[in-house]
Amino acid sequence: MAVPAITGKGAAEHPAAPFLPAKKSLAKRRGRAGLWFVMPWILGFLLWYAIPMLASLWFSFTDFNLVSNEPTEFIGLDNWAKLFSDPDVRDSVLVTVRFGLIALPVAVFFPMGLAYLLVKKNLKGRETFRALFFMPSIIPFVAAVLIFGGVMNSQIGWVNKILELVGIDGPRWFLDKTYVYPALVFIGLWGVGNAMIIFIASMNSVPSTLYDAAKIDGASEWQSFRHVTLPLISPIIFYNLVIALIGLFNYFVVPFVLYNGSGDPGGATNFYALYFFRVGFQFFNMGYAATLAWALFVAAIAITGLLFWSAKYWVHYEYGRT
Amino acid sequence: MKRWNSVAVVVALMMVIAACGGETGSETTTTTGDTVGTEAPTTTSDDTAEEPSGDRTQIRWFVGIGAGGQPEQAAAQTEVVEEFNASQDEIDLVIEIVDNDVAYETLATQIASDNPPDIIGPVGRDGSNAFSGLYLDLEPLVESTGFDTSIWPEETIENFREPDGTLPGLPFASFPSFIFFNKALFDEAGLPYPPQEYGPDGITVYGEGTEYEGTWDFNKVAEIGAILAVDANGNDATSPDFDGNNTTQWGFVWQWTDRLFQQGSFWGAGYPLTDDGTGDVPQTWEDEWKWYHDAVWGTGFAPGQEELDALGGNAFQSGAVAMAGTHLWYTCCIRDDDNNIAGDFYDLAVMPSNNGVVTTNMHADTFRILASSQHPEEAFTVLTYLLTDAALPLLTAYGAAPADSTLTEDFFASLDERYPQGVNWQVAVDSAAYADVPSHEQFLPGWEQYKEAMDTLQSGLLTDPELDLDAAIPELEANLTAIFEENAE
Repeated sequence: MAVPAITGKGAAEHPAAPFLPAKKSLAKRRGRAGLWFVMPWILGFLLWYAIPMLASLWFSFTDFNLVSNEPTEFIGLDNWAKLFSDPDVRDSVLVTVRFGLIALPVAVFFPMGLAYLLVKKNLKGRETFRALFFMPSIIPFVAAVLIFGGVMNSQIGWVNKILELVGIDGPRWFLDKTYVYPALVFIGLWGVGNAMIIFIASMNSVPSTLYDAAKIDGASEWQSFRHVTLPLISPIIFYNLVIALIGLFNYFVVPFVLYNGSGDPGGATNFYALYFFRVGFQFFNMGYAATLAWALFVAAIAITGLLFWSAKYWVHYEYGRT
Repeated sequence: MKRWNSVAVVVALMMVIAACGGETGSETTTTTGDTVGTEAPTTTSDDTAEEPSGDRTQIRWFVGIGAGGQPEQAAAQTEVVEEFNASQDEIDLVIEIVDNDVAYETLATQIASDNPPDIIGPVGRDGSNAFSGLYLDLEPLVESTGFDTSIWPEETIENFREPDGTLPGLPFASFPSFIFFNKALFDEAGLPYPPQEYGPDGITVYGEGTEYEGTWDFNKVAEIGAILAVDANGNDATSPDFDGNNTTQWGFVWQWTDRLFQQGSFWGAGYPLTDDGTGDVPQTWEDEWKWYHDAVWGTGFAPGQEELDALGGNAFQSGAVAMAGTHLWYTCCIRDDDNNIAGDFYDLAVMPSNNGVVTTNMHADTFRILASSQHPEEAFTVLTYLLTDAALPLLTAYGAAPADSTLTEDFFASLDERYPQGVNWQVAVDSAAYADVPSHEQFLPGWEQYKEAMDTLQSGLLTDPELDLDAAIPELEANLTAIFEENAE
């Protein structure tokens, strides 16, 4: 009769040490089986992500142009040198940063505020409101952008028609540099449903005993939010901030759909991702486009890394840990 | 555990096969008309790599970087392909119709991945410029096959010759430009119709014998355009009470011809590249840009970008614009409420002059064989078929005037069937005599970057009432110089 392998905590303490290799072997075999199951993903990752990424890194050192009849040549760091002297890169980075300064706080705190209202027990029709606020995020975003293009059109849009009713001369939302970022942020609010749901889940997971304790200590609503809710949902704020930051780096769909990638008004929507698209898919300059893509990748990694480093000062995981 | 491993391997392999194998080979090789206009490429590279049945040589015809994407056009093209394939047993012609929005990227990718088509077109100068240097010189094939080119005027053929002496295109279609005008809006305003005949040197008179009589030039367009522009309160743009923020009807628009190098050229042909390689915007273009900026933001008789958006882009068809400067290809796009090609509200007028000169921008489309074609002789056989036997149905579908003058009468007769109100097509024929030389689409180094630089300023022209063109034009010229230098050979 075969001796059953001892696994679990008791294995380490069991005097029969020879059984330990059997445990490892079982784990290995199981691991191997798991590896086979994930193999399609690994193959897909290698074929469609890793190899193309490495290829694009190589392209960034070449003059690869899709429609050139000249053979592609290795040009060393020329593309990278150009990156740092290209005024279009500088402008598009500034556009992205300027927009981010408005968009990022809104992308994080608006769904958080919405979630805070929607977890209130005395709010009537809470579930209905949650569904209503979430529903827009299931509509294809391109369709939403097109609709907002009409809704906020200064000539025929109903936003300005309503403003007109109360005696306000509505601005040219998408064609005035002063209003274009607020208008784009406003469109972005259409898709906050996902972030809101995550915030609701995290706020619901805050133990009510902590609020009770705070109440007994005489904490006000604001103090309770500031000193109980905020610290305990800080991991979710951190998560949404990272997601919003990555979304900012890739911000493309809205300006592309609204302005056909023109950068209107006056270059105010010439975002970095748009410039990358133009270089790659309008000028077909794939070598330089690959450089732009890698620069974006490095910047994204660096800033996200900075965020992770800062997390130790303001993100509190303690309560969830056992 | 071995059993588990085996199951895992089988499942993994099945998933990989399912993911990678897909439906390869199961798709059709021809494009149907109803997919065009909204779909991405309808023929995959797997399909196109597929060898035709029998011993036929496969020739791939790529459509999308010019005309050819509208449903009616796709149907006509598909019929032409079927007729060609039925007429002989040497060549299997396969058409790939790609939506114009993605056609450039698709073609570029096919070329870069060593899977290029044999023939592309119809394509104008603009589309051709994007792939400049990749076309086959047709002259050796013309000579070796004895193809009769006498059906076209010699100067029309020479128009396709490159500076290096090669002949990568042969004449097929021409799209002269002129004015489309809305008869009802002129009647309503009590204005005479614009002239339909060019005078000596092209100069003609508007409103002869009326209070509006004067030279038919762009000053006259501005004058009557202001009368034809009306706001929501019924005031026209000559009234001090006119509200330019609530315009409901406009006098004039450059209908899909408002790229700066296009609209500028209507005031006089020019070339923005000097001999020393710097960018220099022709003075006539600068004058026209200022005129049109004032038309949009000053007088207010032309729609700005948001107003164009509100009209759905096709401003003249909306019935809210009295005059549109555009090309013959615009006959593709005047449609009724059911999206059928129809419209009895318009007629044609001659192009106004500027400083005593009439310039009608010309678009010339053709088909081109890529130099990378593995079967240039068979591709040339197809090309000559498209240019001759198949020309009339294709030209009719594209709304293009034939380069072969023997087809002109039949072509306009077919347009009369669509627009039976008695359009004066002679205007189109006569306008060809005033074509822009050099073409506004003459190749420039860094063509796509050049267009992008022009488009940036154009968007300012249509969106920024405060745009200072005197400051913006030198900036544009500096930008063009940098582009030309970067892309100089």
